[in-house]
Amino acid sequence: MTDWVLACATDDIDEEDLIRFDHEDKTYAIYNTDNGFFATAGYCTHEVQHLEDGLVIGNVIECPLHQGRFEISSGKALSAPVCEDLVSYPVKVEGDQIYIQIV
Amino acid sequence: MTDYQATNAASSGISVPKKNLKALMRRSDKPGLIWLAQWAAFLLITGYGVYLSIGTVWHWPAMFLYGIFLTVPSYALSHECAHGSAFRTRGLNEALLWISSLLYYEEPNHRRFAHARHHTYTWIEGKDAQMPFATPMNFKGWLLEITGWALYVYETRLFIRNALGKFDAEVLDYTPASELGKLKWGARICLAVYASLFGMALAGIMWPLWFVIIPRLLGAPVMLLFTLIQHVEMQENDVNICKSTRSFTSNWLGRFLYMNMNFHIEHHLYPMVPFHQLENLNAEIKDQIPQPDPGFIRTNLEVLQVVWRRSMGGSTRAASIRQAPHMINTPDLQEMS
Repeated sequence: MTDWVLACATDDIDEEDLIRFDHEDKTYAIYNTDNGFFATAGYCTHEVQHLEDGLVIGNVIECPLHQGRFEISSGKALSAPVCEDLVSYPVKVEGDQIYIQIV
Repeated sequence: MTDYQATNAASSGISVPKKNLKALMRRSDKPGLIWLAQWAAFLLITGYGVYLSIGTVWHWPAMFLYGIFLTVPSYALSHECAHGSAFRTRGLNEALLWISSLLYYEEPNHRRFAHARHHTYTWIEGKDAQMPFATPMNFKGWLLEITGWALYVYETRLFIRNALGKFDAEVLDYTPASELGKLKWGARICLAVYASLFGMALAGIMWPLWFVIIPRLLGAPVMLLFTLIQHVEMQENDVNICKSTRSFTSNWLGRFLYMNMNFHIEHHLYPMVPFHQLENLNAEIKDQIPQPDPGFIRTNLEVLQVVWRRSMGGSTRAASIRQAPHMINTPDLQEMS
């Protein structure tokens, strides 16, 4: 069972930035990059720190606590101290609304 | 979601508008490259002094001066590169992390993971992986720290154990299992480099002694006086960075040598802000954080007075620097009451 959940409006996220989105008992990060909108799990996989205040550089999100880096579009861990990939979620944009598909 | 709170701006009740923070976090190669060129110039000038002084009474003073310019920036650059914030280009960060960590005397991968844990649990006893001395500090602890003895014993043991793949429990705690191989091979490479330097010196090739080993040892106390005052006499086991950490004022030379880490509260609140933006971060949040302590020399002199008097059983109240309340013991006043 998968659901498309309304996360936010497209203009809620600045260019090359992200916002936090909480839904039920989980938290997510929604990104606006030059390559489009993406969604991943909200917490860094290294030590528990939300990515919402992290730095977006192109297609990379850098954790605000230890500067571990992930590829936004795939969730792939790019450099220490992060070693475990982020879970990423499908995104669709309808009008000016962003939806993420939550399993 | 979490059973702990990371020590940072959120845990300290400090905030910066996101737009302003994004501007402060922005990465660039230019400031780091300028700093690197300045460091190279200082090393060339003071290193030339070492070369000219060989065979004279000025040789050891020249190595001490050169050693300050070798050792303090090595520590600072290793730290900034461990954060990945010295340069925008990752390859430059990683290459300089290796070189500077070799000079500082810590295996680069361990430097990164241990320092990450230091930021998660800043000055939390039993959890902070970079809490090198017993606190409250006494004079013996100060001597062990400032001479570099504590650092050399700790890191040498760690180099050997990690090179053998016999990792301490705390190393296993803060290092992901998939990265242990990097620690092991990193330690082996470092030991091979150090053995080569010592081997050359033993074989009569003297430049490693005059330009690396002895200056590094002579410069260590100055480096450690910088690092000591980051947290000494501050509050342990408190998630508020403003209580556990100290910033201090500095002249341009201290700020250059230390890559602006005199803004240490600011750094711990927002560790993703690169060294060249810390002064601007200070301007953004100075109304929310304590005043900096009064300079590198005066802060260190007051710390030395306090640890000496603590060992002698006297009052441990400092003249002006910030101290956690439980660090202050006033025996004379207690007797009067």
